[in-house]
Amino acid sequence: MLIHSLVIGTLLLCTHASISDYISKSDIEKFIPAFKSAFENLNKDDLSNVYYGAKGFSLISQPLPINAADACKHLQKFFKDDLSNEIVFHSLASWSLLNCNKLLNVKLHKDSTLKALKATLDKQDSSIGDIRFALESLNILSEAVPNPTKIVQLLQAQLKEDDSLPSVGQALHAASLLGGAGQFAIQYVEDIVVQADEVDGRIMQWEGGLTLTSLLLTGLLRLPEAKPVTQTQAEKFATYLLTRKTVQNVKGVVSLLEAAAALSKSSVSPVSITFVDSAHVTTTKPDLKVRISNIFGQPLSPAPSPILAQSATRTTDDVVVLSKQPLTAGPTPTEYILPLKLDPGHYRVGLTAGSHSAALNVRVLGPVTVQWLEVGLSDSDGTSAPRLTKLQHPSKLTTNLQADSSHHLILRFSLSRPVQQPFLRLSSGKREIIFVAELDSSKAYKIDVNLANELSFSAKFELELILGDSIMSNPLRWSFGAIDVALSTVEPSPQSKRGPRPEIVHMFRPAEKRPPQTVSMLFTALAASPLLLLLILWIKVGINFKNFSFAALPFHVGLGGIFSLFTCFWLKLDMFATCAWLIPIGGFTFLAGHHILSKLAKQKK
Amino acid sequence: MANKTGAVISKFYKEYNTKTPKKLKIIDAYLLYILITGVVQFAYCLLVGTFPFNSFLSGFISCVSCFILGVCLRLQVNPENKNQFYGISPERGFADFIFAHVILHLVVMNFIG
Repeated sequence: MLIHSLVIGTLLLCTHASISDYISKSDIEKFIPAFKSAFENLNKDDLSNVYYGAKGFSLISQPLPINAADACKHLQKFFKDDLSNEIVFHSLASWSLLNCNKLLNVKLHKDSTLKALKATLDKQDSSIGDIRFALESLNILSEAVPNPTKIVQLLQAQLKEDDSLPSVGQALHAASLLGGAGQFAIQYVEDIVVQADEVDGRIMQWEGGLTLTSLLLTGLLRLPEAKPVTQTQAEKFATYLLTRKTVQNVKGVVSLLEAAAALSKSSVSPVSITFVDSAHVTTTKPDLKVRISNIFGQPLSPAPSPILAQSATRTTDDVVVLSKQPLTAGPTPTEYILPLKLDPGHYRVGLTAGSHSAALNVRVLGPVTVQWLEVGLSDSDGTSAPRLTKLQHPSKLTTNLQADSSHHLILRFSLSRPVQQPFLRLSSGKREIIFVAELDSSKAYKIDVNLANELSFSAKFELELILGDSIMSNPLRWSFGAIDVALSTVEPSPQSKRGPRPEIVHMFRPAEKRPPQTVSMLFTALAASPLLLLLILWIKVGINFKNFSFAALPFHVGLGGIFSLFTCFWLKLDMFATCAWLIPIGGFTFLAGHHILSKLAKQKK
Repeated sequence: MANKTGAVISKFYKEYNTKTPKKLKIIDAYLLYILITGVVQFAYCLLVGTFPFNSFLSGFISCVSCFILGVCLRLQVNPENKNQFYGISPERGFADFIFAHVILHLVVMNFIG
């Protein structure tokens, strides 16, 4: 295993990686609506849109699906000399891409246009972008560039003031149009590449998005005699471009395609190694088809050679199953075929195409057969041996099994190799219950269902065996019979889940048990009887009312009032009302009592 | 023994009849009445049950408190204790007794439910 890792490691070190995607035909189909829309609803600001549409169709080498003459007339109508150099260039380029010269038999530009463009190249304060687009325009018109050395000085002066990435990118494009004088730009190449951001070690881009990345990449690759980026970097840029395949606006799509085209035309064209159909083969069709192409899915020139499967290892135990096997050419120039006559499983295939390599994860699928299957019932107490019926796929039980709550359903089966998902499904109508089979010591699968515990109602259940696996070419659903289960519980009737819930009636605490009324009455009398005793005793002692005078009456009335008030408080009043009444009555009683008692005290003296 | 006890009791009863003022005898009768009422309530609680508990409590507490207040009144009114309660006339004692009763029964009535 260690040696094997070393082999793979060395392989990766001395070869370049590859990209695992490419711009396919279906991707290009998705770009076309964006190009078409660039020609629709034109207004006078849309000269650039016409360029992007025309450029897009030329990049994907598709004929224009629209009437180009309309677009030409639109350009002719709104073209002026005093538009910005970028729009002048877009208009002139569209004119040439759409072949308007032949369609309308006129030229778009006049002598004044040329004069204005050359004036830009003469001015000290022209921006780098203006200079670039002026040069591009002259290039389209096949006009000679006046005094390239002076323009180079102008560009260098501007770059000293502004060396941001967009400016440098424009300068690269300008330099590539200046012939030998443009050599100065090579000094910027290293600096630009260093500024690219690398993400996860597999993507490279410049901060500023697709447009800026495309501008810099095309600029770098446009410089003559320079090899600005390495093969590895080119693949990382290509990976970035492929992550932006979903771009919608026409300018973005054109940027993407321009950069991809520049990469594929360069000497460091990225190599895409992908599966043709799918990443799995079956044991009956063991040919793995691999596509080796450039970023547009086209054959590489020169074709990489040799194309070898350096090794294939099983991912579960890292056993090498294949090494140094050449791939044969397939029906199309980009297709290569690797026969994988292997046992079913997951494999990692290390592939090299010339100096490029890729690690592909491949699945080999194979069939699984049910060797035997037994189904039957046993008693839950295990007293009698289970009665099992043997079945062969795809036959069925001739009679339904008859079971009640004292039975267990027993299923045993054996497969040609273990699978990840062996299930038994019991279904009745819309309801189902699924059991997972487990391997026992004799490599057979077994399920033991305690019917009384697992099922909640009596019904006829269909029995179905379900087998599945990620490396199984014939996933299986085998309905092999039915079982009638009679439980003591009946099937619950389906209850409506909507509608009002039953009303909740409040339960008061039940009253405590009271003694019989006679007992209560007896004790009431008993409790009251001492009062009689009191009266008797008082009479016996010789109580008298000699001291009673009418002056004492208010006091006794007041005291009686207070106790009557307390009785009322007991029966119906609350504390607040009682206190409110108590204050006047109590005050009166206090005064009356004070009066009578002080009088009594005086009498005693 | 029983004879002796009987003699003690009869002597005590005679002394009580002759030497105790009439007012104190009235208070004593009142205290006996309160005591018996409380005993009857407690017997009910033991024999039948405490339900309703708050009523039982208020009745029993009423008895206990009345007994205590009665005893206090008797102490203050007793002429033999005069030097201990100097400056508190029997009338003042009675007024306090009445006032305490008013407050006590307000609470008892609140509690009786």
